[in-house]
Amino acid sequence: MEKVLAKKSFPQWVKTLSSYKIFAPIEKEDLWSYELIEKPEQINLDYLNTVLSPKKIIFPQREVYLEFFASNEEGIEVKELLPDEKPSVIFGVRPCDAKALTLTDKVFGGDFEDLYYWNRRKQTALVGLSCSTPPSPNCFCLTVDGSPFSKDGLDVLMTDLGDKYFVETLTKKGEQLVNSAKTLFKAPTEKDKKNLAKIQQDAKKKITRQVENIKKVPPQLKEMFDSPLWDEESMSCIQCGICTYLCPTCHCFDINDEIDSSSPLKGKRIRTWDNCQFPDFTMHSSGHNPRPDKASRLRQRIMHKFQYFVELYKNYQCTGCGRCISQCPVGIDIIEVLDKVSDYGA
Amino acid sequence: MAEEFEPKIVAFLCKWCSSAGSDLAGVSRMEYPPNVVPITVMCSGSVSPLYILSAFNKGADGVLVSGCHPGDCHYIKGNYYARRRIALVKRLLDYFGLEPQRFQMSWVSAAEGVKYTQIIKDFVQELKPLGPQKKLRRAQ
Amino acid sequence: MVNLEDLKKEAKAVLKDEKVKYVIGYEKSSNGLMPAPAFIKKPEDVEKLIWDPTCIHNLTRFLTDEKQKKAREKQPDERPVGIIVKGCDSRALVVLLQEKFINREDVYIIGVSCESAGVVDEKKLSKKLKDKKIENIEFDEKDNIIVTTKDGKTKIPASEILAERCLECRANFPVIYDVLLGEKTKRQPENPFQSVEKIESLSEQERWDFWKEQLSKCIRCYACRSVCPMCYCDECVVDTINFAVTADTTAEEKAQKIKWLEKSPVLSENFVYHFIRAIHLAGRCIDCGECERVCPLDIPIRFLNKKLEKDAKELFDYDSGFDPDQPSLISSFRDEDPEDFIR
Repeated sequence: MEKVLAKKSFPQWVKTLSSYKIFAPIEKEDLWSYELIEKPEQINLDYLNTVLSPKKIIFPQREVYLEFFASNEEGIEVKELLPDEKPSVIFGVRPCDAKALTLTDKVFGGDFEDLYYWNRRKQTALVGLSCSTPPSPNCFCLTVDGSPFSKDGLDVLMTDLGDKYFVETLTKKGEQLVNSAKTLFKAPTEKDKKNLAKIQQDAKKKITRQVENIKKVPPQLKEMFDSPLWDEESMSCIQCGICTYLCPTCHCFDINDEIDSSSPLKGKRIRTWDNCQFPDFTMHSSGHNPRPDKASRLRQRIMHKFQYFVELYKNYQCTGCGRCISQCPVGIDIIEVLDKVSDYGA
Repeated sequence: MAEEFEPKIVAFLCKWCSSAGSDLAGVSRMEYPPNVVPITVMCSGSVSPLYILSAFNKGADGVLVSGCHPGDCHYIKGNYYARRRIALVKRLLDYFGLEPQRFQMSWVSAAEGVKYTQIIKDFVQELKPLGPQKKLRRAQ
Repeated sequence: MVNLEDLKKEAKAVLKDEKVKYVIGYEKSSNGLMPAPAFIKKPEDVEKLIWDPTCIHNLTRFLTDEKQKKAREKQPDERPVGIIVKGCDSRALVVLLQEKFINREDVYIIGVSCESAGVVDEKKLSKKLKDKKIENIEFDEKDNIIVTTKDGKTKIPASEILAERCLECRANFPVIYDVLLGEKTKRQPENPFQSVEKIESLSEQERWDFWKEQLSKCIRCYACRSVCPMCYCDECVVDTINFAVTADTTAEEKAQKIKWLEKSPVLSENFVYHFIRAIHLAGRCIDCGECERVCPLDIPIRFLNKKLEKDAKELFDYDSGFDPDQPSLISSFRDEDPEDFIR
């Protein structure tokens, strides 16, 4: 279903969605992040990209699994705390970040569904905003089978046409959102459609960064486990967690018990994000660390995204958002690394 | 009538002076408020900033570090190191916006049972109007 | 501004004579405005080196990696590592020497004076440039920075885009070096603790509100710890496992590892992390500002270190990173240390 929505009507549309929790990008001291919105006027879709992707809403950095406490007769009692979420809408989701959620869906879905993830995922509608200008100079979505207008994972896709948005409804969830304010949406004119096509074409040209031979990367990687390339590329790595914590597709986590009181016993089991770039990520309790140096950790990050995941799910585990490139404190550039991988040994 | 707020104080007392001082107060049957959880450490110089933060994190309303008077340290210099370190911790806590009354240091010798009870009495009086310490406390 | 060709010449000379294993310097990066650390192993590769006001990284951080790597090697190369340092970076070396983490013969120091300027802040610069790529960036004679982009030259007063720490810098030339490039022009900022005093002047509640908001943002990526040349401990309080664990460590010992803070990125735990990080750097931090630069969420971490620097100066007349032979701040004391706060 294709519609147009005047920009000035946008807050009105949001107002009709009062039964939903609304998330949207908000700016504070030059920093953009997805936050819970109280008034529709807070929403400003004139943004580039956020530091953290909407992953943080569906798969929050801290999740309480269960509470446990000692009771006199029963021993230890356990109370499961599944998220029971009100339906939510996230506005202004970039196509790369929406596509990233389709990838984490594979990880948390399949034979064993992770209820904590899915309870939120199913309740959340994603309203995308296509990228008529690339949000970051390091965007490279075209390389990894994405596009600035990709619809993967989205329920609605909006495109900025100047004074109005071109609104494409893609799923049932999306239809519900649009139908809640039917009168605000108009049928697009021929001119609108032409406009859209032109913007789409121009947008692709504006993405300047790409991996030349991405197709060669997965098979090359298979042969490169012991390559000295990892040593060279990781020389400047400082072992922080920026690249993976900011990545919209990274999904590793750790589970810990947090004790509130030891007598009587009371506490929570908590899941938090974890990070393969930290030295203690693979540390065994014997003291042995199978990934003992930073070369092996950088290799893991690249291999997981462009080899293991491709073998398992036939997708790159990367959507080209460019966050890990822009935010790396020492300029490690995944595009350069992949270029070197594809050229390796040639 | 609402019950009066009773602050919980964690006191790190050095084994050789302050802990002995608190014992003296006890065996001499001096009266002082029961709000203190004493933790005996070998020396005030062995009190890591982590101990102090951990106490606040787990719900202490006030923290006291107490050692021997300068010159009296069983390990000669431990309390001098403590004096430096605690000065920095105290200033940094203040910089973060924690009420400065919540963190105190004192010199109490093994003979100063009276001084110990007075320090605790004063500390409790100062903490009462502040109410529970919630800033650094882990949410439960 | 120091001439790049002189820098290349020095680097090339030591590499040619095989006096050093490699030289750590700066090279152009592909990801944005700032350069990347470069590890130059061959004399012909010195052409990659750059030197301009964007060379912000404190490269001494990589000496920790070098030391760890050397410890793993059976027959380590005992030659020193060549390293390019600015004034602040050289003070980091002094602290590492003072703590005997490195030996003087482990490093060949190519000191570069910032002269009257410093390095630029990436965020300030990118605001001015609005995403245009830099072709060239340099200082002119009159405290301006000349940036060349595809649209031509722009003149920006240095004070508008210099990193905050450069505006408060008290050591703009290296204090230790094997070879020095540039002039030792002493510069004294009006008030090196301006930023700290701004926070100190707030009320107690305002200070707490400020830090509460800032520390709540933390996602505990530990970039501030990882980038710090002083954070070289084998075992860090934030790690979930004790790195001193060996095959001989008993299960009981492992179980007794104290969890001082939880992994949950909530205010109370973030507070413990940031407090401990700051206090552990008391008398060690030399204000290279790297922790604040790398923070993806723009937490003003430098304000914490700077506060401790100020207190150390005020209370104990202690300056870090000038004298490798002085005892460290918290392993020393004076009889006259203040004790007016003690009951």
